[in-house]
Amino acid sequence: MRRLLGKIRRTGRVAEPPIPASEQPAPAAAAEFGGSVQIRHVDAGSCNGCEVEIASAFSPVYDAERYGARLVASPRHADVLLVTGPVTRNMADPLRRTYEATPEPKVVVALGDCARNCGVFAGGHGVIGPVSDVVPVDVEIAGCPPPPEAIVAALRNLTGR
Amino acid sequence: MSAVEWGLAAIAGLAVVAVLAALAAPQRVRPTTVGSCTAALGGAGIAVGVLAAAGRRGAVWLPELLPLFGVRLEFDPLGGVFTAVAGAVAVAAALYSIGYTRHGLDSRTVQAALPLFVAAMLLLPAAASVATFLLLWEAMAAASLLLVLAEHRRRTAVAEAGGWYAVMTHAGMVTILLGLLLFAAHAGGETFAQLRAADLSPAMRSTVFLLTLVGFASKAGAVPLHVWLPKAHPEAPSHASALMSAAMVNLGVYGIVRVGFDLLGGGPAWWWLLVLGLGAASALYGILQAAVTTDLKRLLGYSTTENLGLVLLGVGAAGLFATAGNRALAGLALAAALLHVINHAAFKTLLFLAAGSVLHATGTRDLDGLGGLRARMPATTGLFAVGALAAAALPPGNGFVSEWLLLQALIHSLPATAVATAVTMPLAVAVIALTAGLAVATFVKALGVGFFAKPRTPAAESATECGPAMLAGMGLAAAACVGLALAPTLLVPALARAVQVAVPGTEAATTGRLTLELSGITGSMSPLLIAAALVVAAVGILAALRVFGARRARRAARLWDCGGGGLTARTEYTATSFGEPLQRVFDDVLRPEQDIDVTHVRESRYLVDTIHYRRRVPDRIEHRLYAPLLAAVRAWGEAGRRLANGSVHRYLGYGFYGVITLLVALAVTR
Repeated sequence: MRRLLGKIRRTGRVAEPPIPASEQPAPAAAAEFGGSVQIRHVDAGSCNGCEVEIASAFSPVYDAERYGARLVASPRHADVLLVTGPVTRNMADPLRRTYEATPEPKVVVALGDCARNCGVFAGGHGVIGPVSDVVPVDVEIAGCPPPPEAIVAALRNLTGR
Repeated sequence: MSAVEWGLAAIAGLAVVAVLAALAAPQRVRPTTVGSCTAALGGAGIAVGVLAAAGRRGAVWLPELLPLFGVRLEFDPLGGVFTAVAGAVAVAAALYSIGYTRHGLDSRTVQAALPLFVAAMLLLPAAASVATFLLLWEAMAAASLLLVLAEHRRRTAVAEAGGWYAVMTHAGMVTILLGLLLFAAHAGGETFAQLRAADLSPAMRSTVFLLTLVGFASKAGAVPLHVWLPKAHPEAPSHASALMSAAMVNLGVYGIVRVGFDLLGGGPAWWWLLVLGLGAASALYGILQAAVTTDLKRLLGYSTTENLGLVLLGVGAAGLFATAGNRALAGLALAAALLHVINHAAFKTLLFLAAGSVLHATGTRDLDGLGGLRARMPATTGLFAVGALAAAALPPGNGFVSEWLLLQALIHSLPATAVATAVTMPLAVAVIALTAGLAVATFVKALGVGFFAKPRTPAAESATECGPAMLAGMGLAAAACVGLALAPTLLVPALARAVQVAVPGTEAATTGRLTLELSGITGSMSPLLIAAALVVAAVGILAALRVFGARRARRAARLWDCGGGGLTARTEYTATSFGEPLQRVFDDVLRPEQDIDVTHVRESRYLVDTIHYRRRVPDRIEHRLYAPLLAAVRAWGEAGRRLANGSVHRYLGYGFYGVITLLVALAVTR
């Protein structure tokens, strides 16, 4: 117990300084969220690079939750779909159904180059196309993978906090 | 002749007519004829019971009917309550049997046993002498055994259940016989009036009480004498299960109250602590087993053990309070116990009959193989839901009213001066609370897994709603449940008279027409107002949703299935998986047996081919207590067989030496 308390004292604050929101205009639906954004993450065929960065964005270091963004376990609870990866043949239908299951108002975020334009997987035999071919995309985050700062900046833009 | 005596004559007459009809009517119309006659018999039972409970007296003495003793019947309010309950159960079960016994249960024996069983149960609470009581008790046991064995050609389990039932009920009969004969011998007469007036030594009184308690507790399905109940009730045809579970087991309670309170006039505190302990153990053990079982009728059988445990708990508490001189609380506890007998009879009839129509429609009692019946059997599902609400003891169900009264009696006994009361009552309250919680889980399982979601087997998928006679039987029982839930106050005068028979000098435990106001202690509850408030709240919420929800556009969305290709029945909760957390929590008590067989593919032991998972929750008391006993009896029997080796000379020798020994014994003792 003493060692733990000592470690807490020695470590101090690890969170990065606040990252400013991105300059992009926020989608109209974001205004209705009132500063609290529930996010459902859908992996449509990603290489897991983006997932590592999402985990990092929600870790204590970048702590996206302090800006009102939160990951949830079901699209029924979600305001925002955070889609990663090129849409593969097997995930196209589930992605469409997830989009249908999310209540209005909703925002779709395509995270990473693969989600925006299939990235290095473009033309792959199992790949249908970018996310915007399957569901309407409102926000895009560039990068392969995008750094946590970019994710947090985009999410701050949605929460408005 | 008084009205009650006319009623007794009507019961006897209708019973004879029904039995003759069962024997004489052609097979095609037999179920209808016998069912209607038995329903009329039950109706006569209700009438007599209600008259007797209202304070009308009536006595019959038929000296010619039974050699040496004669048959002596006399009604008092206590007996009247039990007769009315048995009559009401019989009406519902008999109506139901018209539809239920049409296919394969219309043999003469099975049909004739039904009115015999009902008549014995209706008359037993009126028995006013030891010989009459024992005669009717045996008639009840024999007739119900015939009903249990009705389907012995179809399932081998029936014969085993029948064996257990026959042995347990007759062992109980023997102890009751011994107890009552001892009592009669020391009292110098065998009528109940002579027994009441008898002056017995305390040791003899305790012996009589203990002997009869064993028999009556076994009939009431109390732990550890309950083993026949979860075997016989599932295997009997459902109308017989309803009669046994809702009417016959009550007579065990009747016996304890009649002998302990009325004939022996109460006793030392340890008698009633014993009854209370039996009741508490039964309530907990019964509901625990019910919570983890997957057989619908076995679940209901264990729930009977639980509810009769609660009744015995009330009876024991009443005895304790009466011994301590607190008549108000004794009256309240006994009234609560009797009310629970009535409530339990109503909802258990309904549940067993509904389980019967499920069995009728699907051919299975296994909850894991049911599901989806809501769409195919809407009426049965609705009726089962009414019964489940009552059995879960939640307001506005009728089970809640009597459990509330019982809790009030127990809670108001504190602070107590006697150490026994001070220790027992908080424990008893805890037992009732735990039991009520587990009962909710049990009946959520029974209703949710059995009737909702998707069907798990083709049998459940092709189920069809049962016929009008069966629905009418269930409907009557459901109406009784609703009536008892809304207006238990109507029963207050009858209960007060019945309680006065057992604990003289008590007033009515409750007053008030709409509200149950406890007399002597502070506390009141209005079942009608609670029900009204719940209805108003439900309607209000629905109306608010309609009004405020209408402002927003609605869209139809498919059920969320994680984006996969639709839900199958394999993704549902089963009875096994629903009960699994409870089974884990109560692992030390239940000791489930489970084993997993994993078969690997031949190429690699890291790849699994098939997994077999088996789980059984055996009745631990049966395993630990009865298995060694049965083994000992078997060994004794094997030893005895050596004496009978087939030699006629040897048998003649046994007879010769037997007579010689007897003569010598007589010569020495005379």
